[in-house]
Amino acid sequence: MTISPQAFTFVRELVRAESAIVLDTGKEYLVESRLVPLARAAGHPDVDAYVADLSKRRTPAAMKQVVEALTTNETSWFRDADPFTALRQNVFPALAKTRSNRTLRIWAGACSSGQEPYSIIMTALDTPELAGWKIELVATDLSEEMLTRSRKGEYSQLEVNRGLPATTLVRHFERAGLNWRINQSIRERVEFRSLNLTRPFPPMGRFDIVFLRNVLIYFDLPTKRDVLKRVRQVMAPDGHLFLGAAEMTMGVDDAWERVPAGRSSVYRIREEQRTCVL
Amino acid sequence: MRALIVDDSRAMRRIVGRILGDAGFEVLEAGDGQQALDLLEGLDGPPELACVDWNMPVMDGLTFITEVRNRPQWRAITLMMVTTESESDRIVRALAAGAHEYLIKPFTGEAMLEKLDLLGLLPTSTGV
Amino acid sequence: MTISSAPDQALVLAAIEQVWGSMLFASAEAWPAERAADFGSGVQAHIELRGDWNGRLVLTCDSDVATQIAGAMLGLGPDEELPELDVHDAVGEVLNVVGGSVKGALIGTWALGLPDVSETSEAPSRDDSFVVSWGDAPVYVQILPDAA
Repeated sequence: MTISPQAFTFVRELVRAESAIVLDTGKEYLVESRLVPLARAAGHPDVDAYVADLSKRRTPAAMKQVVEALTTNETSWFRDADPFTALRQNVFPALAKTRSNRTLRIWAGACSSGQEPYSIIMTALDTPELAGWKIELVATDLSEEMLTRSRKGEYSQLEVNRGLPATTLVRHFERAGLNWRINQSIRERVEFRSLNLTRPFPPMGRFDIVFLRNVLIYFDLPTKRDVLKRVRQVMAPDGHLFLGAAEMTMGVDDAWERVPAGRSSVYRIREEQRTCVL
Repeated sequence: MRALIVDDSRAMRRIVGRILGDAGFEVLEAGDGQQALDLLEGLDGPPELACVDWNMPVMDGLTFITEVRNRPQWRAITLMMVTTESESDRIVRALAAGAHEYLIKPFTGEAMLEKLDLLGLLPTSTGV
Repeated sequence: MTISSAPDQALVLAAIEQVWGSMLFASAEAWPAERAADFGSGVQAHIELRGDWNGRLVLTCDSDVATQIAGAMLGLGPDEELPELDVHDAVGEVLNVVGGSVKGALIGTWALGLPDVSETSEAPSRDDSFVVSWGDAPVYVQILPDAA
């Protein structure tokens, strides 16, 4: 059986409202296939019954599950606050002590619609130790569409409601019609480039910090291993790697070690491996 | 934990009430700022959270927030504006008057939970 | 979208699309000019906008549509009844959010009134309104300046 038009419309609008991702007509199969496991888990005979129940109850946790099942992109600002807290309180201050040229180079490896790289810049601006520093941020994504959106830096009312503190909104954004645009002073600090993580990286120089969150989960083990190995080659020996909360290097590429950073953790190249990359 | 919803729309109170109820709050409701002040006076202790609309009859949300901030016994209430007023200068005014957060209508349930998380008001919150 | 100094049809339609999508989990589309937009008796919501331009936004729809909008907003099942007062309140709040979005997108300092909802027996003229879809039903939208 296929999903009913009513159920599809509800799911499409829910996903659009929560993630700005548009499920065009023709994606009924995708919706059906991704939601079948959730419908079964909730004890419903099919996806239509599950969606009908969801539209009636509107349980936020269940709505979130549906959105997450249908989107693979980052949509929130400061998504999972902990890594950004770790960045401001641990990683930035530590690096600030060791970089005499007062410059940090950062790579956001799957930047999606731009919330993550812009959140990194906003966090750097809130870090006293980095006052007056030069921050070079290279943000990459496979999708040209996402890169175009990111460069524009324009977000809907719904998007700026997601995880962005009100003080940050009024400080770093301005109205652009119904939307909000991130200030040019932040936009111009990020260089957006197209990049496929599964291919050899283009020349990018060395990075002090790499964000590669919630993207390895979509790769098979050999690809994960290969990506992590190549990330080591573009990292400063004392650099810091951020992965998603559900991702780890253990058993994939053991040249990395997990180091606690506040409530979060970061990955660093093991001391004995650092000579190999220099 | 208890939450007070101050909004002149019954539909909006019901929507916000359901989100907060699911997040574990006991929900109290008032239809304008004056009703909300009267309700607070009668409570044995202040609620942890108040979600406050801006445009309401009798007493608007900005006046309500100012009143709450003037009473030391209500200092512990976390105040979040939940309103369709969406200009930067309005947000700044509300924050200056004592609002801790600001959620613009239209919003989704997920967005409201993320704001509560920023405020450290969810059981799983770690704060920022 | 360009930023304008008075509400126009494109801006109001975009605000409605956003509100339909995020609060009602439905899509709103412009209703073709050549398509009939029949209407029995219904509900009319007004909200005032004051600033460089003074006037009001008006939303008019069939009673059944109003009930469906309220049901979608509150997440009610098809069998759940809602008192008329609550239907009016929900439609008023939908227009309030549309009005706030429109106001926020305009240049300058503006004030929004409180929504006012009443019964109406006739649809507005299509000459001074535009029509958006609620499923297969029409919803009339008017941007009415104060009479000079």
